[in-house]
Amino acid sequence: MTEQHILRAFDRDLEAIQAQLMKMGGLVETAILEAASALEGRDDDLAEKVRQGDKAIDALEERINEEVARLIALRSPAATDLRMVLSVMKIAGSLERIGDYAKNMAKRTVVLGKMPTIGSAGGSLRRMAKAVVSMLSDALDAHVQRDADLARDVLNRDREVDQMYNALFREFLTHMMEDPRNITPCMHLHFIAKNVERMGDHATTIAEQVIYLVTGVLPDEDRPKSESVTTIGVEGGAA
Amino acid sequence: MDDMRLTERALDAGTTKIMARGVQVFYGDTHALRDVDVDILDRTVTAFIGPSGCGKSTFLRCLNRMNDTIPVCRVEGTITLDGEDIYDRRVDPVQLRAKVGMVFQKPNPFPKSIYDNVAYGPRIHGLTRNKAELDGVVEQSLRRAALWNEVKDRLHAPGTGLSGGQQQRLCIARAIATSPEVLLMDEPCSALDPIATAQVEELIDELRANFSVVIVTHSMQQAARVSQRTAFFHLGNLVEYGETGQIFTTPRDPRTESYISGRIG
Amino acid sequence: MTDASAIRPGIRASLMTPDTRTRRRNAAEARFRLYGRIAIAIGLAALVVLMGSVLANGLGSFRQSFLTLEVHLDEKVLDKSGARDPEAMKKVTTIGYGKIVDAALKATIAAEGIVVEGLTDKDVSDMISKEAAALVRNRVLADPALVGQTVAFKVLANGRIDGYLKGRVTMDSAERDSNVSPRQLELADALVARGILAKSFNAGFITGPDASELRPEAAGMGIAILGSAYMMLVVLFLSLPIGVAASIYLEEFAPKNRFTDLIEVNISNLAAVPSIVFGILGLAIFINFAHLPQSAPVVGGLVLTLMTLPTVIISTRAALRAVPPSIRDAALGIGASKMQAIFHHVLPLAAPGILTGMIIGLAQALGETAPLLLIGMVAFVRDYPGGLFDPATALPVQVYNWTQRADPAFVERASGAIIVLMVFLLAMNMAAIVLRRRFERRW
Repeated sequence: MTEQHILRAFDRDLEAIQAQLMKMGGLVETAILEAASALEGRDDDLAEKVRQGDKAIDALEERINEEVARLIALRSPAATDLRMVLSVMKIAGSLERIGDYAKNMAKRTVVLGKMPTIGSAGGSLRRMAKAVVSMLSDALDAHVQRDADLARDVLNRDREVDQMYNALFREFLTHMMEDPRNITPCMHLHFIAKNVERMGDHATTIAEQVIYLVTGVLPDEDRPKSESVTTIGVEGGAA
Repeated sequence: MDDMRLTERALDAGTTKIMARGVQVFYGDTHALRDVDVDILDRTVTAFIGPSGCGKSTFLRCLNRMNDTIPVCRVEGTITLDGEDIYDRRVDPVQLRAKVGMVFQKPNPFPKSIYDNVAYGPRIHGLTRNKAELDGVVEQSLRRAALWNEVKDRLHAPGTGLSGGQQQRLCIARAIATSPEVLLMDEPCSALDPIATAQVEELIDELRANFSVVIVTHSMQQAARVSQRTAFFHLGNLVEYGETGQIFTTPRDPRTESYISGRIG
Repeated sequence: MTDASAIRPGIRASLMTPDTRTRRRNAAEARFRLYGRIAIAIGLAALVVLMGSVLANGLGSFRQSFLTLEVHLDEKVLDKSGARDPEAMKKVTTIGYGKIVDAALKATIAAEGIVVEGLTDKDVSDMISKEAAALVRNRVLADPALVGQTVAFKVLANGRIDGYLKGRVTMDSAERDSNVSPRQLELADALVARGILAKSFNAGFITGPDASELRPEAAGMGIAILGSAYMMLVVLFLSLPIGVAASIYLEEFAPKNRFTDLIEVNISNLAAVPSIVFGILGLAIFINFAHLPQSAPVVGGLVLTLMTLPTVIISTRAALRAVPPSIRDAALGIGASKMQAIFHHVLPLAAPGILTGMIIGLAQALGETAPLLLIGMVAFVRDYPGGLFDPATALPVQVYNWTQRADPAFVERASGAIIVLMVFLLAMNMAAIVLRRRFERRW
């Protein structure tokens, strides 16, 4: 926003909301990275910290929703301001979901700690989580800078995350077929992978909100999808 | 970076500037205002809202005894300014009004120069000792009213030649030139266009740093935008008084709810 | 609904063709405009006729016939002692000077070789106004050194001769008139042909005093103008402060109760009281009770003040009420006292209205005749009033006075005085308009 509102208190309110959203984004990014580290390093303490940290994220979402309601009631935003406020609300919802996935990841980490390790899954998941975090942080940066191009870039990067998930899916299938004792940890790891993939989807949702904020239109749904596991089995599985 | 909103809401901790207890106003036989209890805080913008004829302007005019000019008007109850009863027999309303300034609905600059408009108050109250001091007061008041840059080159042009928004800011400058402690505003933006309104609202928000501001407005949105505390009047009663955000998001009284959501007028 | 077709569903009339109702409305409006134009035309016609007749009758009075004579101021007649002592010379009356002037005219006639059959000495001396001798005498007494010299004088011609030059007197009417003979008119023709008798601007009409019935040519309205001016001064200095003070108190300070309502009604009624009543009041109070001198401008001024006050009060109150209350609120709102609010803000804004009311009141007073008749301003006054207590007369009274006189020359004088009166009224009204335009401020 280049121009200021005549009523500067309005600007202060909008900035405050944006700042809280960024704070929430920071907490969520940390949660994802720490959950991935905990998983890879089998660090129960770190996992517990992530689980506790989710409460702060939930509280922050509630605060943002309150602030948004208050701002709509008091300032009756219009045009860009209205889209900004609406997008903040949706983004806060997405961030909260991502936070929940991170918490779920930490929960499963504690369970997995008592089981054998499955190949290099931990490292792969951490790489995947890193990719998601970079998407998320770029999406949030795009929000601050009102940068639709950066947001479109984020949309395209979702494909990489999907491909990583596909690869992991096949790897878990292989491990499970090799040894039935691997089924329990593989199932947990698969849910984690699926959650990370969902985080990526939420990051793209955030990017879509940024495009809506900047241009006023939501992007078309036909972005490239590479999550092909839904078809595995139909064509005869991973033979 | 932590939470600017909280600092603004924490204003409730401010001290009470004006305290009204059991205020009743009668116009002849009409009971215009019943049992109003309000604490107006220092350095806070307090908004009075309500449908036409609800008594909000009447109450505002009680605060600087402008009602005295209406022969049939009678005020009961107590209103104190910093603990002193303003309706005490020893209080001269002229002195009171120097402390409790007023800005009116329609911009009403005197048909004199911009300078004389602002200098009038300090002159009649003898607030300055010489021309240099008076010049200083005029400049400071115009600056505070965010008008200085627009008029500094034509201080001796007639005040009536300004645009509506400028005129209203001139009236505000005139009111603050006497260094009041409280500024009463009776629908100050009802005659202005949206941009001028926004400028005056921004000014009100800045004035909060030095004065206690009380504003009567027909526009709920305006009350929402500029005030920290809001009082809702209905049919001569004070229905609800509280933090503005609370009044506009979760009003406690069903009448307030109906009014701010546009169901009764 | 008389026009059912307009509301019948299904049929939609074209906008291009007006329906009957619209046509009727338009016709009514056109008729009304016509009535308005006719009304204005009638008003204008009345004004044109009035002004036309006054101007046609009265403009002549500003030009008067003068005889230019070389008068030999004979020392033997005017100063027998030869000492040029003004006191001694005053013993020679106007009759003596009249003879000298007559002789000068006779000498001129002889010198120019004018011969008129049956012309008598009396005819010749009657050509000259009786005022001429007094004029010459005053000049000589003011400058005794003139005695013994031959000096050119421009003296007034007799009123009838003046009337002949202006077309009021003809040969036919002269036959029947004992005051003028056809022979004199013949002589006048000859004098006009030689440039001795001619019309020129008559300053004496505006500045000079009134004259007797017999010499309309010398009558002026100087005293009337002066008397009117004195009265206007009295009216201005009394009714402005009294009227404004009363209005401000009634409008801004007085409580609204039955008593003030009563005062208000009475002021309105007072404005409608016939002016003659004020004359009776003035006679009873100022002259019979207070023993002020009759015919004095001070009494006239007092009576006219009484008459003007209601007008001033009503217009001042209207002007005060026209000041928007927001200005009062603004002043009170920053802590001005009521008095400060009124004197700093309300009064300056109301000033144009107050002045306009005052000027209109003055104009009304200037044109008032009836009350002045009752207090003796109708008297014949020859001496200029030196102050407010000296006898004087007033312009409208002078008009009334002149129209009462027999000589038709006075009709011309009366019309001339009306023109002067109207010029004054016009000037005052213009002043009112200019003041209003000048000081009217937007708020």
